[in-house]
Order: sequence, then structure tokens, then C-alpha cells
Amino acid sequence: MSVIDILTRVDALCQKYEKYDLDRQRDAQISSTDGFLKLYTVLNADVETTLQKANEAATEKNRATVAALNAEVRRSKAALRNEIPKLEKLAPRKVKGLSREEMEARPDLVLALAEKIESIPEGTNLGNKRSSWGNSKSASNNKMEIKIDSVSPEDVMRPEQYEHSEESKGFRQDYETRKARQDQGLDTIAEGLSTLRNMAQDINEEMDRQVPLIDEIDSKVDYANAELRTTNVRLKDTVNKMRSSRNFCIDIILLCIVLGIAGYLYNVLKK
Amino acid sequence: MGDIKHRDKENDPDRMMRKGDKLTKLSLTRWTSDWARATPYYEQAANLFKIAKKTEKAKEAHERAAMGQERLASPWHAGKHMESAGALAKELGLWNEVADFFRRASELYIESGKPQPAAEALSRGGRALEDGLPDEAVKMYLEAVGIFEEEQREQMAFDTYRSATSLYIKLQRYTDAATMLLRWGQSADKCKATSTQCKTCVGAVIVYLYAQDFKQAEQCQNDLSMIDAYFQSEQNRFAEQLLNAYREGNPEEVKHVVKSSGVINHLDHMIIRLAKQLPVGDISHLAESSGAGGEAAAEGLEEDDLT
Repeated sequence: MSVIDILTRVDALCQKYEKYDLDRQRDAQISSTDGFLKLYTVLNADVETTLQKANEAATEKNRATVAALNAEVRRSKAALRNEIPKLEKLAPRKVKGLSREEMEARPDLVLALAEKIESIPEGTNLGNKRSSWGNSKSASNNKMEIKIDSVSPEDVMRPEQYEHSEESKGFRQDYETRKARQDQGLDTIAEGLSTLRNMAQDINEEMDRQVPLIDEIDSKVDYANAELRTTNVRLKDTVNKMRSSRNFCIDIILLCIVLGIAGYLYNVLKK
Repeated sequence: MGDIKHRDKENDPDRMMRKGDKLTKLSLTRWTSDWARATPYYEQAANLFKIAKKTEKAKEAHERAAMGQERLASPWHAGKHMESAGALAKELGLWNEVADFFRRASELYIESGKPQPAAEALSRGGRALEDGLPDEAVKMYLEAVGIFEEEQREQMAFDTYRSATSLYIKLQRYTDAATMLLRWGQSADKCKATSTQCKTCVGAVIVYLYAQDFKQAEQCQNDLSMIDAYFQSEQNRFAEQLLNAYREGNPEEVKHVVKSSGVINHLDHMIIRLAKQLPVGDISHLAESSGAGGEAAAEGLEEDDLT
């Protein structure tokens, strides 16, 4: 059967045995009018997942995944931190059907949750300092640690945040000197490249000049080659004809006849 | 003594010459010269004389060999012999003969239906004559260049252009040099050799400036900037900078432009030498004369730019 069939059957079964699902019932009991409780449970669940991810990051070997997980953790921590004030606001609200103790316990719950959020390890040094704005620009130096933290609204509004501190001046200078050195290097490379370019262009033009010459050579050599072949063949034929055994035998026979005639004449004359 | 020992029948160039002469001189017993048999003797004699460093005799032998080949209706070989004779005449310093020989060689090549070697022969003749008869050399270069252009083989002409330009500069005929450079640029354009073209164009501007002919230089630059290939090249930018420095009448600026540009290093060395000596003469007067004109032109441009 197909997946859709399986899904519908599972849904039907779940519906049938709903009353045995304790978790669900417990959730449903939580009144929808209690905003605090809802938000609290949601945040709690988030904190749990974030903690899980942080633990995973601690045991993971692959640095890239570690970095990614840490980033996730940090992100969710920041989001959770932003939710805390909302929870604080909801805490003192009166809700029907809740005892006095519970009401008093709520702010404590909020604080406990906030502490829990802070304590989630995010792979950097714990105890985040609220460092100045300039730090986020520094290159990763071995002595300096990268501190990425969320800046609260009051900090942003403080005017001193944007002035040059000692550190940031130093960084600026560092950046300038490195840039100057890079420019120097790039200039040298540019010079070398321009020389190369000129040489390459000259070589290109020279090659263009040689191409028709080589084509001419090619055709002339082809012609000479063909001539040579035909000449060779004809020469072979001629030589074969000269050396053919028939001619040779004829030569020998004629020679014998001449010698015979000469001998006969000699004999005749001797007499 | 050693000479006589090693000299046997085959290696005696004088003997070879005598044999050749015998075969060609007309007398009672001989009514026609037998060039077919005489020419190899002459050729051998010429080689042997060259090895023995008897230049005068070698030259003569080459001449005779060339005559022989001509009679045998092979102008190509005759041309080759004439060129060798010309080179030997150059060593002897007989400039008129050099010119004659190379011209004859070139004619023979044309006869054999090969115009390119003819032009090359003229070019070689020009180079041989540079020290002795520079004017004659120039003429030969011009003839060579003409033949190349006629035969649409401008690519082979580049070397000739170069020698001609350097000769002109040596003779301090700067306008001629610049004209030759522009002609070179034209040939390069036909063969689509843009790099050479740009280099020659800049060279022409520099030569004009060296000859203290600022107006010509400016005109030249204006004409050349019509050419697309040149207009987009870095050589054009360099020329513009140079001319601007000239217009301001600032010699320091001129020197600075020449020194700081990478373009100069890739030009011909004789042009580099000229460029390093810029600015020649007093260019401050150019500042006043062209200052007013420059401003008016600049204002005109600005008005037009109000698009």
C-alpha cells in the first residue's frame, strides 16, 4: 500500500486511542487563557533543544559542524533572552484558578529560566563581557578572542560606544599598514604582468607572421615528396629491367658466341 | 709551405677559376662559352676563396658564378650569388658595388617570380650600406618597403621598417622617422597587429615631440585617436598624459610621466632613448600659448556636456 494509505490508517488509529494519550491530555489541560504558562512552556522547550545542541557541539569532531551548531545555539540564546522580558511582564498578571503561592513563584520561575538560558554553553568563553563595539572588527588574532554578543538597546544609544577607543585605534592602524603592504605587492605583480602581456602579444604577432610561411613550406614539401615517390618508382622499374635475368643470360650467350668466333678465326689464321 | 702541401687539385681555388675562365673565354677553338660546365667551377672557387679569406677574389668568383647561373636561366641562384658578392663587397668597403650587387640580386629575384626575397635582398642591402652610403641605404629601404606593401606581405616588412626608422633617427631626420613609423602603423593595422600598431603610433608622437614640433605631435595624436584600436590602448593614455604635461609647460611633469609609465619600457630601444631625453628645449612657452586656447576648449566642452 502507498504512503498516503499508511498515513490515513495511522491517523485513524491515533484518533481512536486518543484518550490513552496522556501527554496530549496534559497539554490540553493547560488553559489557553494562561499566557504566562504557555510562553513558559514554549521557552522551556526551546531551552531544552538549545541545550541539546550545545551538548552535541561539545562532542562533535568536525569543526565546521561545531561552528554551525554553536552559531545556532547563540542565535537561539539571543532569541530566548529577548523573550524573557515578555515573560516577566506576563508573570504578575492574575489568572483564574491559580493559587497564591504559584503566583508568587512565577517571577522566581522567570529568573530561573533566565539563568538557565545564560548557562547554556556556546563554545566561547563563558561569562560574556559586554565589550566595546570595536572588538567586532578585529581580525582573528591568537591573543584576542572573538566575542560576539548581543548589544542591548541602552548600550546602542550610549554615545561613547561609537568613539575610538585605544584598541580600535590600534586596529585601524594595523589595517592601514597591511593594506599599504598589499598595495605594494600588487603593484609589483602588476608590473610583472604587464611585461608578460607585452611579451605574449609580441609572440602572438610573430606566430601570426610565421603561419603563412609554414603553410607554404608545407605545400612545397608535399609536392617534393610526391615527386620523389614517382621518381623512385620509375627508378626501381628501370633498374629492374636492366638487371633482369633474361638480359643477363642473353649477354653471356652472346659473349660465348663472340669468343667462339674469335677462337675459330684465331685457329684459321694460325694455319 | 703548409699551403702548398695541402693544396691539391680539388682544393685550389685559383685552378678552379682558371678552369672556369678557360671554358668561358671565347677564342678560335671555342665559339660559345660553356657556362653549364664553368659555373660549378666558379662556385667552388668562390667557396674556397671565402674559406681562405681572399675576399676580393671570392667576390669576383661570386660575380662570375652569378653570371653563369643567369645564362643558365636560373635567376634564383644568380640572385643568391649576387647577394654573397654584395656582402663581400661590403667587407671590402666598395659601397657603390655593394649597392649595385644588391639591386641586381633583387632584380634577379623578381625575374624568378619571387618578390618577397627581392624585397628582403633590398633590405639586406640597405643594412649593409648603413655605414657607407646612408642615403643610398635609405632609398633601398624605401624600395623594399614599397615592394612589401605591393605584395600584401606587410608582416615581413616590420623588420625593414624598424631598420629604416633607426637609420632616420641616426641621421636625425626626425620627420622622416615619424612618417616611417606611421607607415609602419598602417601596415600593422592591415595585419591586425594591434600591439605593434599602438607602439608605433606612440613612437611617432614621441619623435615629433623630440623634434620640438609640438603642433605636429598634437595633430598626430588627434588623428591617431580616431583609430579604435589605438584609442583604447594604454599607449594612447600615455600619449595624452605626455601631451598634457607639455601643454602645461612643465618639464618636471614630463619627466615624471615618462618615468612612471610602464608603456615606455616596451617600445623600441631607440625610441626609449629619445623619450628619456624629453623634454627637449624650452616648453614653458607652450603653456601660455596653449593655455588660453585650452581654457576656451574646456569651456566649450562643458557647455556641450549639459545633456
